[in-house]
Amino acid sequence: MVGDISPVLLVFLYGLITALATGLGALPFAFVRSISPRITAYSNAIASGLMLGASFGLVAEGTRFGPWQTIIGAVIGVLFVLLAQMFLRERDLGFGVVHGAGARRMILVLVVMTVHSFAEGVAVGVAFGGGMTLAVAIVVAIAVHNIPEGLAISAVLRPRGVSVAACAGWSIVSSLPQPLMAVPAFLLVGAFAGVIPYGIGFAAGAMVFMVFVELLPEAFEEGRRPRVALIVSATLMGMVLFQQYL
Amino acid sequence: MDPTLTVLLYSSLAAAAGALGALPLLVRGRLPIVGIGWANALAAGLMLGAAYALLVVGVDRVTLSGAVGALLGILYVYWTHWISGTAELDLNRLEETSEAYGYKVLLIGAHHSAAEGIAIGVAMAVDVPFGIFTALAIAVHNIPEGAVLCSILASRGVRRGDAAGLAVATNVSQVLLAVVTFAIVAAAPSAFPWVLGFAVGALVYLVMAELLPECYRQAGPTSIALVTIVAMGIVVLLSSQRL
Repeated sequence: MVGDISPVLLVFLYGLITALATGLGALPFAFVRSISPRITAYSNAIASGLMLGASFGLVAEGTRFGPWQTIIGAVIGVLFVLLAQMFLRERDLGFGVVHGAGARRMILVLVVMTVHSFAEGVAVGVAFGGGMTLAVAIVVAIAVHNIPEGLAISAVLRPRGVSVAACAGWSIVSSLPQPLMAVPAFLLVGAFAGVIPYGIGFAAGAMVFMVFVELLPEAFEEGRRPRVALIVSATLMGMVLFQQYL
Repeated sequence: MDPTLTVLLYSSLAAAAGALGALPLLVRGRLPIVGIGWANALAAGLMLGAAYALLVVGVDRVTLSGAVGALLGILYVYWTHWISGTAELDLNRLEETSEAYGYKVLLIGAHHSAAEGIAIGVAMAVDVPFGIFTALAIAVHNIPEGAVLCSILASRGVRRGDAAGLAVATNVSQVLLAVVTFAIVAAAPSAFPWVLGFAVGALVYLVMAELLPECYRQAGPTSIALVTIVAMGIVVLLSSQRL
């Protein structure tokens, strides 16, 4: 059965499954109904903890390939967010019912998470390049790891009035680069393996910078300080644990 | 050198570094408010970098007990703030000169340093070079932290020399906790994952609760985010060179 499908199609399908798993992250936010600055602040705190924890894991992996390459990637990631911010500030943006700074934050989170999926897709393809024997284990691992990413995206979108279904949809869209990048990386493992530390550094740098520049300031502005700190640190540690054991 | 003496030496060095925070006061009367924001962001980035390094070093040896330890570390600092009534206190007020405010700022400084002492002690228990690395990261972190404290004290009319002395005095708990933590982990190695988790949880919570919240208003998100991430990146890069 599996043998009948070409490995390229299989890699694409596996990548697609992991992308769909991202949509599951929207489910815990089904209970959030009202749009209030408080809930937005604490959801920001959840997203911050998840992204910081994910970046800790990414950087630990990237520095094993090459510390300098990871740092260079991270610098490019920071510049990317700065440029995206500038680009978005110049425009009068709307996202659903939200306009202004809130809409900029929503779009920026989506853009960063989508771009960071390119790096993940490369990692998936290169991992499969090592042989298909562990394929199912890798797919399950990546699919599970994608759920918190959907959670982070939904944490930013949902309290600002986006429906649960749309949150799930946007989460999946943000992961679509995974199957798209997995295929070329699988076919050209040699060419892509060297890109991995840069890609990982980029993803981590962009996420951490976005947390510091967009999510945390708003969280501290609107939320109570001990509660924000509690949520960020507990989510960060939970995310590290999650990555270590699942 | 006996490892315990090494812990004593480097944690004392880190504690003493707080006095260097008085140096900016020699140039100007006190830090401008933007400078206070950047000093906090610098301290925050260095501390997060140290937390990252501890996590990476310990993650293979840390089991579920490490996670429980981290939760306890977070709750420990949360409760210290709550009990001392400093949970929502603005820690960087230059104009506020009441007595109660002054001693609360010193009290919170002493508690803050205690958690850093645990981090130095457990890092020394990983191995001595890593412990020295962590102690030096905390030492550099103590300089901007000392600068903020000295500015607050100077605006209350405290002499520069006394301000530098108080910046070191609030760090003494760091020396004590570093030596005690190192001794405990040496005597009971099974405590290692708990203590490591505790240290990381406490450091991350301190960054989020004490260092970052005020500085966004003091210097604006872009410069704060840049200072924080550069400081963090330097510690991350150096820690990966060493490993």
